Amino acid sequence: MAAVPVITPIDSENTRTLRHVLSVILREPLSLMSTAVIVLFILLATFAYQIAPYPEEGAGKTHADNTLLSPSAEHWFGTDKLGRDILSRIIMGARPALMIPIGVVLFSVLIGAPLGALAGYKGGWLDEVIMRITDLFLAFPSLLLAMAIASALGRGLDKAAIALIVSWWPWYTRIARGVAVGLRERYFVEAAQAAGVSDTVIIFRHILPNTLSPILVQATVDMGTVILAMGGLAFLGLGTQPPSPDWGLMVSDGRGYILEQWWIATFPGIAIFIVVLAFNLLGDTLRDIFDPRQYK
Amino acid sequence: MQKLEFFLRRLSTSLFVLIGVSVITFFLARVVPANPAALYIGPKARQEDIDRVTKQLGLDKPLPIQYAVYMQELLRGDLGTSISTKRPITEELAGRIPATLELLFSGMFIAVLFGVPLGVLSARSQGKPFDVGVRILSIAGVSMPAFFLGLILQIIFFRNLEILPLAGRVDSDLRFTNPLTEITNFLLIDSFVTSNWITFKDAFLHLVLPALTLAAYPMGLIARMTRAAMLETLEQDYIRTAKAYGIKQYVIIYLYALKNAISPTLTVIGLTFAFALTGTFFVEIIFNWPGLGLFTVRSLLNLDYPAIMGMTLFGSIGYVFINLVVDLLQAWVDPRISLH
Amino acid sequence: MKRFTLLVSLIVVLSVILSACGGAAATEAPVPVATEAPATEAPPVATEAPAVPLVLKYASSANITTWDPIASFSTEAAYMANMYEQLLRVNAPGSAEQFTPLLAESWSKSDDGLVWTFNLRPGVKFHDGEAMNAEAVKKSIELAKEKAGASFIWLPLDTVEAVDELTVKFTLKWAQPLELIVGSEYAAYIVSPKALDAAAADENFWSAGVSAGTGPYMIESYTADQELVLTQNTEYWGGWETGQYEKVLVQFVPEATTRQQMLEGGETDIVTSIPVDSLETFANNPDYTVSIEPSLFNYTAFFNTLKAPLDDIKVRQALSYAMPYEDIINIGASGRGTQSYGSAPNGVFPYSTDVKQYTYDLEKAKELLKEAGHEGGGFSLRLTYAAENSTEEAFAPLIKDSFAQIGVDVTIEPLQFSEQWTLAKTDPATAQDIFLLLYWPTYSDAGADNLWSMFYGTAEAPHLNATKFNLSYWYNEQYNALMDEASGLSGTDLTASLAKYTEAQNLLVGEAPAAFLFDTKVAVVVPNDITGFQYNLNYPDVRFWFYDLRPVQ
Repeated sequence: MAAVPVITPIDSENTRTLRHVLSVILREPLSLMSTAVIVLFILLATFAYQIAPYPEEGAGKTHADNTLLSPSAEHWFGTDKLGRDILSRIIMGARPALMIPIGVVLFSVLIGAPLGALAGYKGGWLDEVIMRITDLFLAFPSLLLAMAIASALGRGLDKAAIALIVSWWPWYTRIARGVAVGLRERYFVEAAQAAGVSDTVIIFRHILPNTLSPILVQATVDMGTVILAMGGLAFLGLGTQPPSPDWGLMVSDGRGYILEQWWIATFPGIAIFIVVLAFNLLGDTLRDIFDPRQYK
Repeated sequence: MQKLEFFLRRLSTSLFVLIGVSVITFFLARVVPANPAALYIGPKARQEDIDRVTKQLGLDKPLPIQYAVYMQELLRGDLGTSISTKRPITEELAGRIPATLELLFSGMFIAVLFGVPLGVLSARSQGKPFDVGVRILSIAGVSMPAFFLGLILQIIFFRNLEILPLAGRVDSDLRFTNPLTEITNFLLIDSFVTSNWITFKDAFLHLVLPALTLAAYPMGLIARMTRAAMLETLEQDYIRTAKAYGIKQYVIIYLYALKNAISPTLTVIGLTFAFALTGTFFVEIIFNWPGLGLFTVRSLLNLDYPAIMGMTLFGSIGYVFINLVVDLLQAWVDPRISLH
Repeated sequence: MKRFTLLVSLIVVLSVILSACGGAAATEAPVPVATEAPATEAPPVATEAPAVPLVLKYASSANITTWDPIASFSTEAAYMANMYEQLLRVNAPGSAEQFTPLLAESWSKSDDGLVWTFNLRPGVKFHDGEAMNAEAVKKSIELAKEKAGASFIWLPLDTVEAVDELTVKFTLKWAQPLELIVGSEYAAYIVSPKALDAAAADENFWSAGVSAGTGPYMIESYTADQELVLTQNTEYWGGWETGQYEKVLVQFVPEATTRQQMLEGGETDIVTSIPVDSLETFANNPDYTVSIEPSLFNYTAFFNTLKAPLDDIKVRQALSYAMPYEDIINIGASGRGTQSYGSAPNGVFPYSTDVKQYTYDLEKAKELLKEAGHEGGGFSLRLTYAAENSTEEAFAPLIKDSFAQIGVDVTIEPLQFSEQWTLAKTDPATAQDIFLLLYWPTYSDAGADNLWSMFYGTAEAPHLNATKFNLSYWYNEQYNALMDEASGLSGTDLTASLAKYTEAQNLLVGEAPAAFLFDTKVAVVVPNDITGFQYNLNYPDVRFWFYDLRPVQ
């Protein structure tokens, strides 16, 4: 008897409805917890101003008398070198931590998926060209490419986001192309072609929707990866600039204090970890549902 | 013949990719708007000096010519000269590779040493608490930011327990009390070979935390991949046949399943090398490790564009090379792949 | 199984190849050209085999742009000043004596201040064994005048003559306080003539890390961007006592946080600096002393006097009243600074508290704006600052907020300094309106440097003139006349010169081509187990004089 219900993937299309997906997710404790964390994260991001105990400090206002206080009743996570409440900064930081990766992933999908679908569907030289370019970008370790672009463009959140989009879109091209190649032989596509439906419509009506599930899986996992990458860039000084309450930036700020005031770096780091963990676990579960034969 | 054809195809793809990489890297670095010549000389240089250096570095010529010059030098093995250190980049690379490699190999070693058995064992006890535990642990490893893990380890082991050093590769006092003859520049190897046990122990202790930090992500990934591969293999018919014949369980697992699970594991090892490469950026900054990662980050922040170009190129070449090697090894080990 | 073994062996082979590359390249790394061990009369202080040498560990942000002591004009002065010596050293303000004789024991000048005679210290040798004498001094100075990075400090020099073995005569074209020039942190070191000849023949002579000075320390080994080992010059004319450092291990660490961690973790004894925010913590720590010292760096906000409305003196004066001087110091520099009196920094000639200052008075500012025809403000200004400078980053918003209160809208634009510079130098019509600048004089004469470099304009093309820091593009005949007078007096009568400079500065402040923000103070963290630390603001790049430091017994 298994202590934890094992997800038995059913390999047929019609069970992958939203209802099915939700029921699977909500049944398993791990993915239930991950979803809860993500929902909490979204709530924090949306209602940051209302929830944070010291929202102005979260935004960057300093409080010179309160520097480096250890965790207490007034400041659950203590204060940093400029006297700002760390809990508030983490809560306020949830908004950029959520919005930017969503934006990055969204744009990467919007750029990458249609390209990949086009390449896979048309085949021939177009396919070759697009895939060569994609392979080219994939030849760089993504973070290294993002760092190089971010440093070339200059410091700042917007430039870091652009750098990440440029580094991440190839993954979706590859996925979409894979689906398109598989689909172009299928009878319903051939039927549509025979009926004279234009290629654009075929791509958008028939092929792209079928890329949704693998892309969704990848996107969920990528949320975690992009959050890590944003945090990493901010940590190095390439991404978000002070006094923005970016979690990676907070870890970097706290680095000089780890020996005495450990809380400054620790709590933001834990925040990053938990959120990324939640996305990864959820992505893992989604992968089990949609593509059980894929190696986990 | 098929294998040879595959090999040649992969090789030519890699070469094409490398050329493209050089173009992109070059493009990136020359997009940098700041005046690199001014950075080169120092804060209070005169305008005439800045102009002179601009000519000297060839920055006043049109872009296509600059690229041609760049490619020429590249093919001769000249990656340019770093603006911050004024030394050839190839020298900087060579000086720092051993430190990073020592870190990488140690990290990967730990990752494989723990990752593979964990994956195997959790496949064996599929569904049981141990399996779930390993699954969580491996996803946790993948989710943990490297820069944060390093800090936590420093807090725990240096500050609280006081058993491991904070940063650096070796205690600087030792170079005066127990000087080390440098042969390969791998501190562990050199000190071992010259029986300099004090330095060996010190270098080892300094290596522990950075290697652990670097190992977290690959370990998680390897554990998961091994588990998945093992599970898939364990369901194969021939395994069931062997079981039916009564061959002892552990023999089945280790001899047959593991051998066939090597292929996907190899893929993962190749993939994780990529992460490990970028992971060194954070680990080396936190632990003040004098390797390629530290140099790259400093170059990025200083806009030392020859160094940025050189490091990006080098990193990508390394990545391409490793992927090529992994692909070829896979094809060799698993004949099914080469028919792709 | 066979394949598996082959696989493993392949990996091993690969690693061996890679490490061989690394190893081979390591042995090809430049072997530092060892300076000849000087012939010893007395037994050396530290022998190699048994005793562990006393090592000072220094985590430093100061990197080396060149090892050429003549060309040197940057942060490497931190080490140069411990390896090379000038004829004399300018002491910190408030010292009993103004100068410390180094290679010159005594000196005198003619009444007109044009001829200076220096008597050299006998029996001094360079690290390579050559004797230090008048010919050597002549050669070093002439070379510095010709091609030093800071060669412009020798513009007043006409000729330098070796009168005899130990006497050098300097003849100037116009009178200047030559002591300040020969004691400069740059372009004034006396270098072994043998080394200079070798360098003339081989342009890479210095690059591996060679020292050919007379100072207490010499280079033992150097790995660029990583570390530098200095070892004591056992022949140093100042002599050695037990308890002084025999070696200095410098590790180049650009990250302030890492330096702080190394200090806390015991991996280094001293550091150039730590993150500003951590100073509190160290000040409260009984193991450390944080010394706050005046430094010769100051901050200036240049107004673009060629662009309306900043071409109107009343507007500039108004803005000078609207500068939140105290807040800038307290928030931008965490309280470490004092408001400037004109452009000469605190402690450097011709600093004087008789120069007027603007107070922070918004009412007055509004009044002046009204008089100028800009009642209620109503215009916008573009302010640029160096993105790398965290102090400017901290106080630029304060200026913006304060100006907003008088109706002036400021856009703050962080740029890489080189970009900020290029923008300012290209065309004043399209350049910034306000330029924030951190400045310091090359040697301890802010009359010859600051007041001249930044404000001595020319009528034609003020942005292109030779004085490259005239970032307000300003030209004022009367100011120039006063400056010429003051400069002429500085070689003969410092008191009279100071009075004239003060007059010039008062004119300057009145005309307000720039706002004179504040003179900075530097904070140095020194562990309490090391004594002998003394900061000398005349040598801003030199945090520590290694010869003076000793571990507490």
